Amino acid sequence: MSDNADERLDRLFAAARSERMDTSAQEEHFETRLMARLRERRREGIPWYALIWRAVPVLAVLVVLIAVYSASYKPTASDDLFAAISSGQEDYLVQNVLTGE
Amino acid sequence: MNVDTSTTVTSEPEQPSDESLISATLAGDEGAFALLVARYKRRIFGLSARFARDSDEVEDICQEVFIKAFENLAAFRHDAPFEHWLTRIAVRASHDALRRRRREKGQSGYDDYVFEVRDYGAEARQEARLARELLKWALSRLKEEERIVITLLELEGYSVREISSLTGWSESNVKVRAHRARQVLKRVLEESDERQR
Repeated sequence: MSDNADERLDRLFAAARSERMDTSAQEEHFETRLMARLRERRREGIPWYALIWRAVPVLAVLVVLIAVYSASYKPTASDDLFAAISSGQEDYLVQNVLTGE
Repeated sequence: MNVDTSTTVTSEPEQPSDESLISATLAGDEGAFALLVARYKRRIFGLSARFARDSDEVEDICQEVFIKAFENLAAFRHDAPFEHWLTRIAVRASHDALRRRRREKGQSGYDDYVFEVRDYGAEARQEARLARELLKWALSRLKEEERIVITLLELEGYSVREISSLTGWSESNVKVRAHRARQVLKRVLEESDERQR
Protein backbone atom coordinates (compact mmCIF):
# COMPACT_ATOMS: atom_id res chain seq x y z
CA MET A 1 0.00 0.00 0.00
CA SER A 2 1.26 3.46 -0.77
CA ASP A 3 2.07 6.26 1.65
CA ASN A 4 -0.72 8.22 -0.03
CA ALA A 5 -3.25 5.72 1.22
CA ASP A 6 -1.88 6.08 4.74
CA GLU A 7 -2.01 9.86 4.54
CA ARG A 8 -5.52 9.80 3.16
CA LEU A 9 -6.68 7.51 5.93
CA ASP A 10 -5.07 9.75 8.55
CA ARG A 11 -6.80 12.79 7.01
CA LEU A 12 -10.13 11.00 7.18
CA PHE A 13 -9.52 10.06 10.80
CA ALA A 14 -8.54 13.63 11.65
CA ALA A 15 -11.64 15.05 9.94
CA ALA A 16 -13.94 12.57 11.67
CA ARG A 17 -12.18 13.14 15.00
CA SER A 18 -12.42 16.92 14.78
CA GLU A 19 -16.20 16.83 14.95
CA ARG A 20 -18.17 15.04 17.58
CA MET A 21 -21.61 14.09 16.43
CA ASP A 22 -24.25 16.34 17.93
CA THR A 23 -26.63 13.96 19.70
CA SER A 24 -28.10 16.61 22.02
CA ALA A 25 -31.60 16.27 20.53
CA GLN A 26 -31.58 12.53 21.18
CA GLU A 27 -30.27 13.04 24.69
CA GLU A 28 -33.27 15.14 25.68
CA HIS A 29 -35.39 13.45 28.34
CA PHE A 30 -33.24 10.33 28.06
CA GLU A 31 -33.23 9.96 31.86
CA THR A 32 -37.04 9.98 31.91
CA ARG A 33 -37.28 7.29 29.23
CA LEU A 34 -34.60 5.21 30.91
CA MET A 35 -36.10 5.39 34.40
CA ALA A 36 -39.52 4.45 32.96
CA ARG A 37 -37.96 1.40 31.30
CA LEU A 38 -36.15 0.43 34.49
CA ARG A 39 -39.40 0.62 36.46
CA GLU A 40 -41.14 -1.46 33.79
CA ARG A 41 -38.41 -4.11 33.98
CA ARG A 42 -38.73 -4.23 37.75
CA ARG A 43 -42.51 -4.65 37.48
CA GLU A 44 -42.16 -7.49 34.98
CA GLY A 45 -39.72 -9.32 37.25
CA ILE A 46 -37.15 -11.87 36.18
CA PRO A 47 -38.11 -13.80 32.99
CA TRP A 48 -38.36 -17.60 33.24
CA TYR A 49 -35.36 -18.23 31.00
CA ALA A 50 -33.19 -16.10 33.29
CA LEU A 51 -34.40 -18.16 36.25
CA ILE A 52 -33.38 -21.37 34.47
CA TRP A 53 -29.90 -19.98 33.89
CA ARG A 54 -29.65 -18.98 37.54
CA ALA A 55 -30.73 -22.49 38.59
CA VAL A 56 -27.96 -24.12 36.54
CA PRO A 57 -25.29 -24.01 39.33
CA VAL A 58 -27.73 -25.46 41.87
CA LEU A 59 -28.72 -28.26 39.49
CA ALA A 60 -25.05 -28.95 38.70
CA VAL A 61 -24.27 -29.30 42.43
CA LEU A 62 -27.26 -31.65 42.84
CA VAL A 63 -26.08 -33.84 39.96
CA VAL A 64 -22.58 -34.05 41.44
CA LEU A 65 -23.96 -34.95 44.88
CA ILE A 66 -26.20 -37.68 43.42
CA ALA A 67 -23.29 -39.04 41.37
CA VAL A 68 -21.00 -39.12 44.40
CA TYR A 69 -23.69 -40.75 46.53
CA SER A 70 -24.54 -43.44 43.97
CA ALA A 71 -20.84 -44.18 43.40
CA SER A 72 -20.19 -44.59 47.10
CA TYR A 73 -23.44 -46.44 47.94
CA LYS A 74 -22.98 -50.16 48.44
CA PRO A 75 -26.02 -52.10 49.69
CA THR A 76 -25.11 -54.44 52.49
CA ALA A 77 -25.19 -58.02 51.34
CA SER A 78 -27.55 -60.11 53.43
CA ASP A 79 -26.49 -63.48 54.79
CA ASP A 80 -30.15 -64.42 55.16
CA LEU A 81 -31.11 -66.36 51.99
CA PHE A 82 -34.88 -66.03 52.60
CA ALA A 83 -34.59 -62.23 52.98
CA ALA A 84 -32.57 -61.98 49.76
CA ILE A 85 -35.19 -64.06 47.82
CA SER A 86 -38.21 -62.23 49.25
CA SER A 87 -36.56 -58.86 48.54
CA GLY A 88 -36.17 -59.92 44.91
CA GLN A 89 -39.79 -61.07 44.80
CA GLU A 90 -41.00 -57.76 46.15
CA ASP A 91 -39.20 -55.96 43.34
CA TYR A 92 -40.75 -58.37 40.84
CA LEU A 93 -44.26 -57.83 42.28
CA VAL A 94 -43.89 -54.06 42.28
CA GLN A 95 -42.74 -54.16 38.67
CA ASN A 96 -45.77 -56.28 37.71
CA VAL A 97 -48.18 -53.92 39.46
CA LEU A 98 -46.64 -50.89 37.75
CA THR A 99 -46.62 -52.42 34.30
CA GLY A 100 -50.09 -53.97 34.75
CA GLU A 101 -49.04 -57.51 33.95
CA MET B 1 -32.42 12.75 47.65
CA ASN B 2 -30.04 11.68 50.40
CA VAL B 3 -26.66 12.38 48.76
CA ASP B 4 -23.67 13.41 50.86
CA THR B 5 -22.15 16.59 49.40
CA SER B 6 -20.28 17.72 52.50
CA THR B 7 -16.82 16.75 51.21
CA THR B 8 -16.98 18.83 48.01
CA VAL B 9 -15.54 22.33 48.50
CA THR B 10 -15.67 24.54 45.38
CA SER B 11 -16.87 27.99 44.49
CA GLU B 12 -19.34 26.47 42.00
CA PRO B 13 -22.64 24.95 43.07
CA GLU B 14 -21.81 21.72 44.84
CA GLN B 15 -21.89 18.62 42.66
CA PRO B 16 -22.32 15.30 44.43
CA SER B 17 -19.44 12.92 43.74
CA ASP B 18 -19.94 9.73 41.71
CA GLU B 19 -19.32 7.68 44.84
CA SER B 20 -22.08 9.39 46.81
CA LEU B 21 -24.49 9.05 43.88
CA ILE B 22 -23.66 5.35 43.57
CA SER B 23 -24.19 4.81 47.30
CA ALA B 24 -27.51 6.65 47.16
CA THR B 25 -28.61 4.60 44.14
CA LEU B 26 -27.75 1.37 45.95
CA ALA B 27 -29.77 2.62 48.90
CA GLY B 28 -32.79 2.85 46.57
CA ASP B 29 -32.63 6.48 45.44
CA GLU B 30 -33.58 6.51 41.74
CA GLY B 31 -33.00 10.25 41.49
CA ALA B 32 -29.32 9.71 42.27
CA PHE B 33 -29.02 7.31 39.34
CA ALA B 34 -30.79 9.80 37.07
CA LEU B 35 -28.08 12.33 38.03
CA LEU B 36 -25.36 9.82 37.13
CA VAL B 37 -27.07 9.24 33.77
CA ALA B 38 -27.29 12.97 33.14
CA ARG B 39 -23.58 13.32 33.93
CA TYR B 40 -22.35 10.63 31.54
CA LYS B 41 -25.01 10.35 28.84
CA ARG B 42 -23.18 12.68 26.43
CA ARG B 43 -20.07 10.52 26.63
CA ILE B 44 -22.04 7.30 26.05
CA PHE B 45 -24.16 8.79 23.26
CA GLY B 46 -21.02 10.04 21.51
CA LEU B 47 -19.34 6.66 21.71
CA SER B 48 -22.44 4.69 20.68
CA ALA B 49 -23.02 6.97 17.70
CA ARG B 50 -19.62 5.88 16.34
CA PHE B 51 -20.91 2.33 15.98
CA ALA B 52 -24.67 2.64 15.60
CA ARG B 53 -26.42 2.38 12.25
CA ASP B 54 -29.16 4.89 13.03
CA SER B 55 -30.59 7.05 15.79
CA ASP B 56 -32.82 4.28 17.10
CA GLU B 57 -29.82 2.02 17.53
CA VAL B 58 -27.96 4.78 19.41
CA GLU B 59 -30.89 5.02 21.82
CA ASP B 60 -31.04 1.22 22.18
CA ILE B 61 -27.33 0.91 22.92
CA CYS B 62 -27.42 3.77 25.45
CA GLN B 63 -30.43 2.30 27.23
CA GLU B 64 -28.75 -1.10 27.34
CA VAL B 65 -25.58 0.46 28.79
CA PHE B 66 -27.33 2.32 31.59
CA ILE B 67 -29.69 -0.57 32.39
CA LYS B 68 -26.69 -2.91 32.74
CA ALA B 69 -24.93 -0.30 34.87
CA PHE B 70 -27.98 0.05 37.11
CA GLU B 71 -28.51 -3.67 37.51
CA ASN B 72 -24.82 -4.38 38.19
CA LEU B 73 -24.02 -1.30 40.24
CA ALA B 74 -23.50 -3.39 43.37
CA ALA B 75 -20.69 -5.21 41.55
CA PHE B 76 -18.87 -1.96 40.77
CA ARG B 77 -15.57 -1.98 42.67
CA HIS B 78 -14.18 1.46 43.14
CA ASP B 79 -10.71 0.48 41.84
CA ALA B 80 -11.31 2.45 38.60
CA PRO B 81 -13.34 5.60 37.89
CA PHE B 82 -17.06 5.07 37.29
CA GLU B 83 -16.68 6.58 33.81
CA HIS B 84 -14.14 3.91 32.86
CA TRP B 85 -16.45 1.15 34.11
CA LEU B 86 -19.37 2.65 32.18
CA THR B 87 -17.27 3.00 29.01
CA ARG B 88 -16.33 -0.66 29.28
CA ILE B 89 -20.04 -1.56 29.34
CA ALA B 90 -20.63 0.76 26.36
CA VAL B 91 -17.82 -0.87 24.35
CA ARG B 92 -19.29 -4.32 25.05
CA ALA B 93 -22.81 -3.19 24.14
CA SER B 94 -21.51 -1.66 20.89
CA HIS B 95 -19.62 -4.85 20.10
CA ASP B 96 -22.82 -6.86 20.66
CA ALA B 97 -24.76 -4.48 18.40
CA LEU B 98 -22.18 -4.85 15.63
CA ARG B 99 -22.31 -8.66 15.88
CA ARG B 100 -26.11 -8.67 15.83
CA ARG B 101 -26.06 -6.50 12.71
CA ARG B 102 -23.52 -8.75 11.00
CA ARG B 103 -25.90 -11.68 11.50
CA GLU B 104 -28.84 -9.69 10.17
CA LYS B 105 -27.49 -8.53 6.81
CA GLY B 106 -24.71 -8.82 4.28
CA GLN B 107 -22.47 -6.03 3.09
CA SER B 108 -23.43 -3.29 0.68
CA GLY B 109 -21.67 -0.71 -1.47
CA TYR B 110 -21.07 2.90 -0.45
CA ASP B 111 -23.91 4.16 -2.69
CA ASP B 112 -26.38 1.86 -0.93
CA TYR B 113 -25.20 2.87 2.49
CA VAL B 114 -27.75 4.92 4.43
CA PHE B 115 -26.57 7.42 7.05
CA GLU B 116 -29.39 7.79 9.46
CA VAL B 117 -27.76 8.98 12.67
CA ARG B 118 -29.12 12.50 12.72
CA ASP B 119 -26.45 15.11 13.38
CA TYR B 120 -28.31 18.31 14.07
CA GLY B 121 -25.21 20.51 14.04
CA ALA B 122 -23.68 19.12 10.88
CA GLU B 123 -24.89 21.45 8.17
CA ALA B 124 -22.07 23.95 8.71
CA ARG B 125 -19.51 21.17 8.73
CA GLN B 126 -20.16 19.52 5.43
CA GLU B 127 -16.60 18.41 4.72
CA ALA B 128 -16.11 16.77 8.08
CA ARG B 129 -19.50 15.12 7.74
CA LEU B 130 -18.64 13.66 4.32
CA ALA B 131 -15.32 12.40 5.63
CA ARG B 132 -17.07 10.84 8.58
CA GLU B 133 -19.65 9.17 6.36
CA LEU B 134 -17.04 7.78 3.99
CA LEU B 135 -15.07 6.53 6.95
CA LYS B 136 -18.15 5.06 8.58
CA TRP B 137 -18.96 3.15 5.43
CA ALA B 138 -15.36 1.90 5.23
CA LEU B 139 -15.48 0.96 8.92
CA SER B 140 -18.64 -1.05 8.29
CA ARG B 141 -16.54 -3.40 6.12
CA LEU B 142 -14.31 -4.36 9.02
CA LYS B 143 -14.71 -7.24 11.42
CA GLU B 144 -16.46 -6.15 14.61
CA GLU B 145 -13.34 -6.46 16.78
CA GLU B 146 -11.21 -4.50 14.29
CA ARG B 147 -13.82 -1.78 14.10
CA ILE B 148 -14.00 -1.46 17.87
CA VAL B 149 -10.20 -1.17 18.13
CA ILE B 150 -9.63 1.31 15.30
CA THR B 151 -12.56 3.51 16.39
CA LEU B 152 -11.35 3.70 19.98
CA LEU B 153 -7.76 4.26 18.86
CA GLU B 154 -8.13 6.74 16.02
CA LEU B 155 -11.45 8.47 16.67
CA GLU B 156 -11.86 8.38 20.43
CA GLY B 157 -8.17 8.89 21.19
CA TYR B 158 -7.65 5.97 23.59
CA SER B 159 -4.20 4.42 23.96
CA VAL B 160 -3.50 0.77 23.22
CA ARG B 161 -3.28 0.06 26.95
CA GLU B 162 -6.62 1.75 27.62
CA ILE B 163 -8.28 -0.19 24.80
CA SER B 164 -6.85 -3.38 26.21
CA SER B 165 -8.39 -2.51 29.56
CA LEU B 166 -11.75 -1.55 28.03
CA THR B 167 -12.11 -4.62 25.84
CA GLY B 168 -10.30 -7.25 27.87
CA TRP B 169 -8.06 -8.12 24.87
CA SER B 170 -4.27 -8.20 25.28
CA GLU B 171 -2.22 -5.20 24.14
CA SER B 172 -0.54 -7.18 21.37
CA ASN B 173 -3.96 -8.37 20.21
CA VAL B 174 -5.16 -4.77 20.09
CA LYS B 175 -2.08 -3.74 18.07
CA VAL B 176 -2.57 -6.57 15.58
CA ARG B 177 -6.24 -5.71 15.14
CA ALA B 178 -5.45 -2.02 14.65
CA HIS B 179 -2.85 -2.89 12.00
CA ARG B 180 -5.23 -5.23 10.18
CA ALA B 181 -8.00 -2.64 10.33
CA ARG B 182 -5.78 0.00 8.72
CA GLN B 183 -4.82 -2.41 5.92
CA VAL B 184 -8.45 -3.29 5.22
CA LEU B 185 -9.56 0.36 5.34
CA LYS B 186 -6.88 1.41 2.85
CA ARG B 187 -7.87 -1.41 0.51
CA VAL B 188 -11.58 -0.59 0.79
CA LEU B 189 -10.99 3.10 0.08
CA GLU B 190 -8.83 2.29 -2.94
CA GLU B 191 -11.46 -0.11 -4.28
CA SER B 192 -14.10 2.55 -3.80
CA ASP B 193 -11.99 5.07 -5.75
CA GLU B 194 -11.48 2.61 -8.61
CA ARG B 195 -15.20 1.94 -8.80
CA GLN B 196 -15.98 5.65 -8.99
CA ARG B 197 -13.49 6.29 -11.82
